[in-house]
Amino acid sequence: MQWVNAIVQGMVTGGFYALFACGLSLLFGVMGIINLAHGDLAIIAAYVAITLVPATHLPMVWGFVVVVPIFAVGGYVLQRTLLQASLDRSPFTTLLVTFGLSVIIENVLLEVFSANGQSISIGTLITNSFALNNVITISWFSLTVLGVAVAVLGALQLFLSRSRTGRLIRAVADDREAAQLSGANYRHLFGVAAAIAFATVALAGLSYGMLTEFAPTSGVTTLLFAFEAVVIGGIGSLWGTLVGGIVLGVAQQLGAQINPAYQILAGNLVFLAVLAVRPRGLFGLRTA
Amino acid sequence: MPDEGRTGPHGGGGNADVPEIERPGGIDRRSLLKLVGAGALGAGAAAVLSSSAGASSVLRSARSSRLTSAKSGTIHIGYITPRTGALAGFAESDPFVLKKIRSTSQYHKGITVGGKRYSVKITVADSQSTTNRAAQVAQQLALSTKVDLILTANAPETTNPVASAAEQYHTPCLATVVPWESWYAGLGGDPLEPTKTFKYCTVFFFGMKEFAGTFLPMWERVQRETKADKVFAGMYPNDADGNAFREGFPPFAEKLGYTFVTGGSYTDGTSTYSSMIGKFKSGNCTFYSNAPLPPTFNTMWKQAITEGYKPKLATVAKVLLFPSTVAALGKLAENIATDAWWTPFSPYKSSLDGTTTHALAKEWQDSSGNLWWQSLGSSYSLFEVAVEAFKAVDTPHDHAAVAAALHKVHYTGMCGPIDFANGPAPGVGIILPVGVQWKPGKKIFGKKFPWEPFVVDNALNKHVKITGDLVAGTY
Repeated sequence: MQWVNAIVQGMVTGGFYALFACGLSLLFGVMGIINLAHGDLAIIAAYVAITLVPATHLPMVWGFVVVVPIFAVGGYVLQRTLLQASLDRSPFTTLLVTFGLSVIIENVLLEVFSANGQSISIGTLITNSFALNNVITISWFSLTVLGVAVAVLGALQLFLSRSRTGRLIRAVADDREAAQLSGANYRHLFGVAAAIAFATVALAGLSYGMLTEFAPTSGVTTLLFAFEAVVIGGIGSLWGTLVGGIVLGVAQQLGAQINPAYQILAGNLVFLAVLAVRPRGLFGLRTA
Repeated sequence: MPDEGRTGPHGGGGNADVPEIERPGGIDRRSLLKLVGAGALGAGAAAVLSSSAGASSVLRSARSSRLTSAKSGTIHIGYITPRTGALAGFAESDPFVLKKIRSTSQYHKGITVGGKRYSVKITVADSQSTTNRAAQVAQQLALSTKVDLILTANAPETTNPVASAAEQYHTPCLATVVPWESWYAGLGGDPLEPTKTFKYCTVFFFGMKEFAGTFLPMWERVQRETKADKVFAGMYPNDADGNAFREGFPPFAEKLGYTFVTGGSYTDGTSTYSSMIGKFKSGNCTFYSNAPLPPTFNTMWKQAITEGYKPKLATVAKVLLFPSTVAALGKLAENIATDAWWTPFSPYKSSLDGTTTHALAKEWQDSSGNLWWQSLGSSYSLFEVAVEAFKAVDTPHDHAAVAAALHKVHYTGMCGPIDFANGPAPGVGIILPVGVQWKPGKKIFGKKFPWEPFVVDNALNKHVKITGDLVAGTY
């Protein structure tokens, strides 16, 4: 039963990884930007929440109502200015620019908020749970995060395949010049995609801040897990990202069940195995 | 020619590669040159030309400093502490302590050594809570800045690499806030057979025996009251502290009839602890002990409560030592117990100017608005011991003599009596902690805080007053 528990808890954790990886997957899938500042942006979201939400008198758990719109606007603006400018130069420039952003964000957060760990406190909501039997207890919060991840990825999939803007975004991603010839304003469309990606980053950052303690330097480790989820699932595939997150979560928990020392190692081994055997990931369209 | 010109990997860029230099009278020429030099090194590709000029100015300034410091009338002390990073909570009160230290006559007017008065300069460097960075700044202080003594504090991630570097570069070093076993093992000694002497390194703190002497009396009291099973969970990560605990702590508990359930040596930075929690639940572990990194504990404890693991008493080490980490957990931290190596409730006072523990805590609270902080006392005592050692030598620049004097210091100060000559291992002085539990705050020095540590057990150190009742956890 302990093994079943490990799988269940791994799936729930995987939902969180998938939510985290969603924005990364989208930015890469559409614009080919590997956003190395992804983890740090999520940490900013958590800091924005603890700074702004108390002023609105909303309960902390509703923080996303405040933070997600701010991030969507911020994402659009950042894409139209800095990211687009670097994208116009070369893909490597975006790598350097986002790496630079990551360093700057970390240091600015250190200056402003100090290195002390903080947490978004939502009271007992974080520890409420239900028991399936005497071994398996599932946290409502983590289950909600999994649900949000599925909903966000599903909605994005629908948006990209059914809506006009979504189809234009895919067209631009596939062949920018051809789409431009047909009248698509790719800069605006990239901005929209970035806005969506940043909104999901904000969601992920807030759940991270509620689940655990964060500090200005927390972004790096979360980026690694998000990255692994994207690569395992397959670059450019949103459902793949969900599966990738869950595979990573389950692998880590099974590793921990063998020996707690193997938890992170097990996740990394699965990541390496996927890269070796199936470099484009489980559902990927392009090679990593 | 040692490689003192190097400023290490340029990860952070800019002057993040230079120890943070704090001194009252602005920046002198030498450090300005260093800042310029390292800034150029860190600035990346665009600064290729100027970086070579920058590097040579660092070399030049290092050389000139060596010439002057050989017979200088200044004692130069380096202090390495995690001002930023995961362990920054430990060092939050350090700027205040340094201000207090600099205002004492010994540090303000100078220390008399061998009949001559020496002024004192303190250079503070940030270890950023990482071992690499700590080793790097220690090397810089020992080889380039040429300090006469390195003080270091606040968890093995900082103190151990610093001690190793000090031993290697023959610079006297005093550490604190690190279990002595973890410090001793870090230098290459065997804590179970502590016969080896490290010539340049000393530490004052306590070890597994004192952790056990603090935690076990609390377990016994709760066990008698609740008739709980004598089983305890150990969550010890695979790092210096975790390994010291896994080896050293359980034997003391087993002697009293407790069964040990290990959570396994997990990796720092793990994000889910379900398998470990499952093990503790099915093992019916009524007592819980750990030595994790602070963010790890926050995550683990939330998951433990979610998944229904509720011990009768949690006695944690290395975390929940400071109000800021407790605030992050809020109500979930109520009645968690930990060790306190310094409190304002002891009769100890400063060997430098007679400031009492009470006065130090009050002044900190008045100036910072924060509740008293355990590392106020330990950081303070580092500078007391330094004075004791310098007073015992003929010249402060004789590294071997200063190191030998450190090994002999026996005095009473802010942390109580410390005797380096008669500790459990050569160069180890012991201070005695007490058990505290976090509870909703009452008024202290005229201010009420949401959470406050109350001294609930003083089995090990009767000098410290009891300020609250030990209560079994209702986590």
